[in-house]
Amino acid sequence: MPAGLDKLQHIVVLMMENRSFDHMLGSLKAVNPKIDGIVDADTFNNPDAANNPVKPQPKAEFQAQLQPDPDHHFPAVDLQIYGGDKSANRQPNMQGFVKSYFNQRRDAAHSQMIMYYFPKEKLPVLTTLALEFAVFNRWFASIPGPTICNRAFAHYGTSFGRVDLNPIYPPETIKSIYSRLIGASPKRTAKVYYYDTTSSTMEVANLLQNQPELFGTYSQFLKDCDKGNLPSYSFVEPNYSDHETDSGEEVANDQHPDHNMQAGEAFIASIYQAIKNNPDLWETTALLITYDEHGGIFDHVPPPDCPKDQFTADGNATGTGVPFHFDRLGVRVPSILVSPWIPKGSVVDRVFDHASIPATITKFFLGDWAPRSPRETSADIFIEPQGAAVDPARNLLSLDVMRTDCPDFDV
Amino acid sequence: MALIRVPKPPKSAYDPDRPMSSLLKSQIEHLRDAEGKLPLRYRSEWYIKTIRTEGEAAKYIRDVTEAIHAAHEDAERARRTPKRKRVIEIAAVADERVERASTRRPRKKRDATKRKKSGGAKRPKKK
Repeated sequence: MPAGLDKLQHIVVLMMENRSFDHMLGSLKAVNPKIDGIVDADTFNNPDAANNPVKPQPKAEFQAQLQPDPDHHFPAVDLQIYGGDKSANRQPNMQGFVKSYFNQRRDAAHSQMIMYYFPKEKLPVLTTLALEFAVFNRWFASIPGPTICNRAFAHYGTSFGRVDLNPIYPPETIKSIYSRLIGASPKRTAKVYYYDTTSSTMEVANLLQNQPELFGTYSQFLKDCDKGNLPSYSFVEPNYSDHETDSGEEVANDQHPDHNMQAGEAFIASIYQAIKNNPDLWETTALLITYDEHGGIFDHVPPPDCPKDQFTADGNATGTGVPFHFDRLGVRVPSILVSPWIPKGSVVDRVFDHASIPATITKFFLGDWAPRSPRETSADIFIEPQGAAVDPARNLLSLDVMRTDCPDFDV
Repeated sequence: MALIRVPKPPKSAYDPDRPMSSLLKSQIEHLRDAEGKLPLRYRSEWYIKTIRTEGEAAKYIRDVTEAIHAAHEDAERARRTPKRKRVIEIAAVADERVERASTRRPRKKRDATKRKKSGGAKRPKKK
């Protein structure tokens, strides 16, 4: 078995908020052409309200640009993906981002900002990690919709038919990845680390309400890394709000528009560095950094079809009048897998979505598990299970010797 | 590899008066829902429709998150405390009281020097 997989004991997932792949990592195509980033303006642009083409531009700012928050509810994302085509045989063309943003302020110049992306230098943490480790060219949000239902896919492998921000009360039949792990024999450990009690979690309706013992804070995550007490599986949530604490002012670091991007960069770096600073942990841990959904911001890759889920959202729930069978993924998001066993500059072209998270964790720590949603059972896994027969073409932790040239950040 | 500098956000990035997003609004509604399932003594007195800003939202979120944790910790503590067999114990205490009343003697004064010799540690004062 490859040494990296053999040694792997901990998987950490950090899920940030509301940014698309092209917006964050699109500039990297110029550095590594295998990364499916910004293509030239003739190949991809978006029509504005007067049907003039708007091209992607490297003008994204850290804050005060995407006001109001770009719409990313189901009907708006439908417009962004299909460009307003409502026909029965329509195909996603990614032509409605500017139109959708224009609908919010009726300001043609302002609506162009939805096509802005970050030059590499502005995001030193995320772009360095993408270039140093494995970046996923085809990691999509699970649903063309907002946060809560997309995050549910990371916890349960389904949103139980929801495409909106309403509370999700899962039926007993499908357990969260955390319940599976702590209920397993031999028992595994799992924790959801929210930033602090003032930011709390987005997984309120079920997990916090019924299993608060699963939760820890960011400062506990740092301590657990330092002391080598990290659980088998950790899910880390950022700070969702600007707020005051006993120790001072906390700036939101989730990168949700219109929160400051640099605060998010520092947060990502601190999670990475907390793992790396403990040599035993660094050797035995894989960190996935991903975003829950695209937040209404442009991307040029049409989301693919996927197998239907067992649930359906009716036409009223989708807000489009047309039911949704969970048979298409949402817009592409940045996703990076970090481990010292991954070759520098790895680029992955297989299709993933957030259902891949419980699918991978389950397969790696528990083997087979039932019942799971059809979406989870059909989702690809990003870490191969430990065992003799590991497919080298699929294994990302493929180095025979651990790297010693990994970057450090001054956090 | 060289140490990579991570710029910090400017002080002006902090704005607790920013109107809360639809995400924070939904988080508050979820917490309100969760709060409604707690015993009355753990519920906050917030009227969530008055919450407008991130700073206000954060205060409510903290109150309810801490209340949820407190409610579960108290319930766990109660589960761990062994239940008393009330009828028998009450009867036993009653018997004991009768016995004590009949055999009560004046208490002897404790010898402080004896305690020192035995090296007994002082108990910390109760706050």
